[in-house]
Amino acid sequence: MVQVLLSGLQIGSIYGLMALSFYVIISATGILNFAQGEWMMIAGVLGLTLLDLGVAYPLAVVGSLAGATFLAVLSERLIITPLQRRNASQAIVLLALFGIMLVARYGTGIIHGRLEDPLPGPAGTHVFMLGPDVFLFSQSLVIYGSTIVIFGAVILFLHYTWLGRSLRVAAIDPLAASIVGVDLGKVRLAAFGLGGLIAAAVAWLYAPLYAVGYMTGAIPGIKGFIALFIGGLASPLGPLVGGLLLGLMEVSAARYLPSIYSEGIAFALLMLVLFVRPNGLVQGRGSK
Amino acid sequence: MMPAARSSSVLNTRSLAAAGFVVLAAMPFWGNDYHVTVAVNLCVTLMMTLSLNLVVGYSGQFHLSHVAFFGTGAYVSAILAKLGLSPWLCLVGAVAATSVLAALIGGPVTRLKGLYLAVATLTFSLFVEVVVKQGGTITGGGYGIQDVPALHLGALKLSGKPYYALALVCLALTFLVLHNILASKFGREIIAVRDHPDAAEASGINPPLIRLVVLVTAAAFAAFGGWLHCFYHLNLNPELLNPQWTFVWFFMVLVGGIGDTLGVVLGTLLLSLLPEFLGFAMGQTIFGIGVLMILVTLFAPRGLGGLIEDLHQRSQAARHAK
Repeated sequence: MVQVLLSGLQIGSIYGLMALSFYVIISATGILNFAQGEWMMIAGVLGLTLLDLGVAYPLAVVGSLAGATFLAVLSERLIITPLQRRNASQAIVLLALFGIMLVARYGTGIIHGRLEDPLPGPAGTHVFMLGPDVFLFSQSLVIYGSTIVIFGAVILFLHYTWLGRSLRVAAIDPLAASIVGVDLGKVRLAAFGLGGLIAAAVAWLYAPLYAVGYMTGAIPGIKGFIALFIGGLASPLGPLVGGLLLGLMEVSAARYLPSIYSEGIAFALLMLVLFVRPNGLVQGRGSK
Repeated sequence: MMPAARSSSVLNTRSLAAAGFVVLAAMPFWGNDYHVTVAVNLCVTLMMTLSLNLVVGYSGQFHLSHVAFFGTGAYVSAILAKLGLSPWLCLVGAVAATSVLAALIGGPVTRLKGLYLAVATLTFSLFVEVVVKQGGTITGGGYGIQDVPALHLGALKLSGKPYYALALVCLALTFLVLHNILASKFGREIIAVRDHPDAAEASGINPPLIRLVVLVTAAAFAAFGGWLHCFYHLNLNPELLNPQWTFVWFFMVLVGGIGDTLGVVLGTLLLSLLPEFLGFAMGQTIFGIGVLMILVTLFAPRGLGGLIEDLHQRSQAARHAK
């Protein structure tokens, strides 16, 4: 029971952080960036490559975050900005984003190869026994701690910095925001950069649990946007609640039910939420 | 997204194109097994893009669950055939089961708009994929279904070139039915609901009902394509249900020009045959399609048809300028 709770919170934190990386982009720009999982995967592969080259661990972390964030920003400048300037339809933008996702994923497959390798976690692989059947990995502590720090930092950024406030104003009313002097192009750039950075950070939390290769981004990417829409787009609490709820439900289903339930529960839950309460579970102040 | 008005000169290029298709369609009869397989797959893909175009092009709904209906059609066919049902009757079962599924999901889904519609239908597609992958002995799980009984016409076992003839018949049937739907009163209602839903409602049309009927019709043809795929390959792999295929088909529709039937055929031909000519492996093909998705959305968002029309207009303008 305690073990289920600990594991659920662990994977739920990963989903919540991925959902947060979707959230900062979609709330400020209205764009659902499919490629988020791929920036995470690329940060992992990049980190692995740097470590293999003998780069010191902290430098490998910083280098991988910088590299993945740079690619996220680059995709925004080269592809999304021209589309937005032309007022392209939502379907066209979604297709372009899907193209970016395929290029990032299979491009990495072509360059890096198809092998998956373990990425060492920042705190090693210590195990703490908390009880007869309850144990905790050092990596889990890193995940819980990072989740609190990253969510806290993003909420502070959105509320107490000029750029963060611009993102929130653009989310409420882009036209009014541009009238009062918010540069929507800069907001979009900042949103994609921040989203890319959060996703890249998840690589160092998620990949040490499994391994990292060109397909690593697929599942966290899907579960991230599912968690986001379960929680809702009203506030940063949406991704957190959605992620934790999804993680807990998946782990409990995996523990007590056949595998079809744990694999399918995310999709069934989101369809239910969309049909019954399309704005998500967490409602914001003055949300429509 | 409006189908552009066509001049008589464009009509002539259309009849030329039709003649070209007849020649192209006949070619695999002189080819080898590989050519026949490519041609049958192409017929199936065309059935998918033509029916998807009904939903995303003419009806303007951004549904991302087409591959789920294709996969349901293929899997229901295989499961029923394994149970001993005649493969011909499997077609009825597959289309009926898929239509019911589409109607069930379509009720709540067609009320959603924009991004929420895309997210809900994509989620549904992922759900169907998981159910098939985790379906245990019924769907064969990750291994899929092998050794499906073959289709027979009298004493003739349909495989290879005779099967390609059947695929052409199925494709022609799909084309004719979809064409006639669009030419009918119902077709005009579909376009009215897409372009002016409020005005359509004021003239006594029920937009949610029209959207639902369009979805079920497209799903029925997707299941038809799934049936055709199933009895050619006689093996099913759960990778068939990967939601990326819906995006690829949507891209083929876009490359041809959304809402333009001839364009959709051209886009499908181009994107299906190009990787075969280049001899690409699967990973390279998907990578190449990703690159093309970015380039086309950036530089030719109205598709090849739009690009050709632009060039045509430009040459016309140059002629007038002389």
